[in-house]
Amino acid sequence: MENSKAKIMIIDDDPDFRDAVTSILQSALYEVVTAPNPEEGKKKILKEKPDLILLDIMMDSLFDGFSLCNAIKTSKEFSSVKNTPVIFVSAVKEMTGSRFQFKGEDQGLSSPDDYIDKPVKPDDLFSRIERLLKK
Amino acid sequence: MKKRKHSIVVIDDEESMRDSCRMILEKDGFLTETAENGSSGLTKVEKIRPDLVLIDLKMPGISGLDVLEKVKKIDSNIIPIVITGYATIESAVEAMKRGAYDILHKPFTPGELRLIIKRGLDRIKLFREAESLRNEKKMIEENFITMVSHQLRSPLVAITQYFEVILGGIAGEVAPRQKDMLVKARTRLNSLLELINDWLDIARMDGGSIVDKLKIVSLEDLINKQVEFLKPYAKKNKVTLSLSSISGSDKALGDSDSLEQVFSNLIRNAIKYNKADGTIKVLIKEEEDYITTEIKDTGIGIREEHIPYLFNQFYRVSRSEDKKQKGSGLGLTIAKKIVDAHNGSIQVTSKPGKGSVFTVQLPKAYNTIT
Repeated sequence: MENSKAKIMIIDDDPDFRDAVTSILQSALYEVVTAPNPEEGKKKILKEKPDLILLDIMMDSLFDGFSLCNAIKTSKEFSSVKNTPVIFVSAVKEMTGSRFQFKGEDQGLSSPDDYIDKPVKPDDLFSRIERLLKK
Repeated sequence: MKKRKHSIVVIDDEESMRDSCRMILEKDGFLTETAENGSSGLTKVEKIRPDLVLIDLKMPGISGLDVLEKVKKIDSNIIPIVITGYATIESAVEAMKRGAYDILHKPFTPGELRLIIKRGLDRIKLFREAESLRNEKKMIEENFITMVSHQLRSPLVAITQYFEVILGGIAGEVAPRQKDMLVKARTRLNSLLELINDWLDIARMDGGSIVDKLKIVSLEDLINKQVEFLKPYAKKNKVTLSLSSISGSDKALGDSDSLEQVFSNLIRNAIKYNKADGTIKVLIKEEEDYITTEIKDTGIGIREEHIPYLFNQFYRVSRSEDKKQKGSGLGLTIAKKIVDAHNGSIQVTSKPGKGSVFTVQLPKAYNTIT
């Protein structure tokens, strides 16, 4: 796959965060689609079939991101896109120290392919995306 | 709250008593069950979990007082009212002692019964209101961290994210003087984020959530990890950092995530308040029931008068020579709260100009605990 043309989807409820990260990704020539909440995210994932998803963990509820990630990886509805890599993007990990790390796994939810803290550093974000797209 | 029918169980060996109580209570819209002796009454109480129970004191089989005690054991929220035909002060006192809410003397009028039941139900109402207030308060407290994270952090994160875009040159070129200012602004924003993080840590510590997560922790591994992680920072400050000695067991009983934070905070401080070409030595030793860790620095030291306040929130020693040092002022408070939650202790001794020693004692883990 030609990495510079990969389609990245940002699902995050903060419009400014989406805007800023869209700029970052576009500067590296990625195609970007965004969704402001999990519901719209679900529809767009199936329609747009992105190459990678940046998913905010905590939107309306604390576990929005966890359950959407789990749905993508395990539910029938998303079987056509279940191999799409998911990166969790959140400020939560920092907030609670390392304690918060993937507590979803304890509850039997699928884990994401990677994890990045907000605010994201452009270089860090690119290297994580590239690594997953190469897989 | 949704209004629901209250339920009442009447336990009395006299059939006429049961029937008349049932008639009055059902007419008033209560779900009413009756029982002719203590044991069948208790079975019904167990099954229905009524709001209120009327218990005759004098019954064959289990005595009314025993039934009363057992009802309280089944559910302490049930209001028990005792019916007695031989009202003496002694029996009344005894019944109240064993948890009766009120006493009804035989014979009684429907009005007396209604009044006493109303009082009991009012109490339930008050109790439920108090409980729902308590729950609400608890929910607010529990969600507070989540709320603060979202409401306070989100805008800061969005702002910082724009800074990353601008400073990354993604939104066009930035003049050197502008860049210089933006970098400074970003630094200030980052300290603000750090302050919120630290503050949230303290809020969580006060919730006392770590005590049930205690496991056997190898302090050698844990501290080694922190030492390795912080070596670049030490080097930048021209400070030599090492885990210099271990004697005896290094196995403490603790929560490794929290303890990482304790030692990270202490070592960071030791680096921050050290002198150029200074050293930091970390020692671990087994001492009776504790594993003691010492962090010795050769820094500027702390004057004696500051030591008692060192672990207080936002206390920062003001000294002319460390004006450049910035932090949230919460690092030591967090460390102390974590160590206290482990039933350990944290102490400091210091010689101004020579250096400080921070000593952390944590309960030793014995092999029997796994």
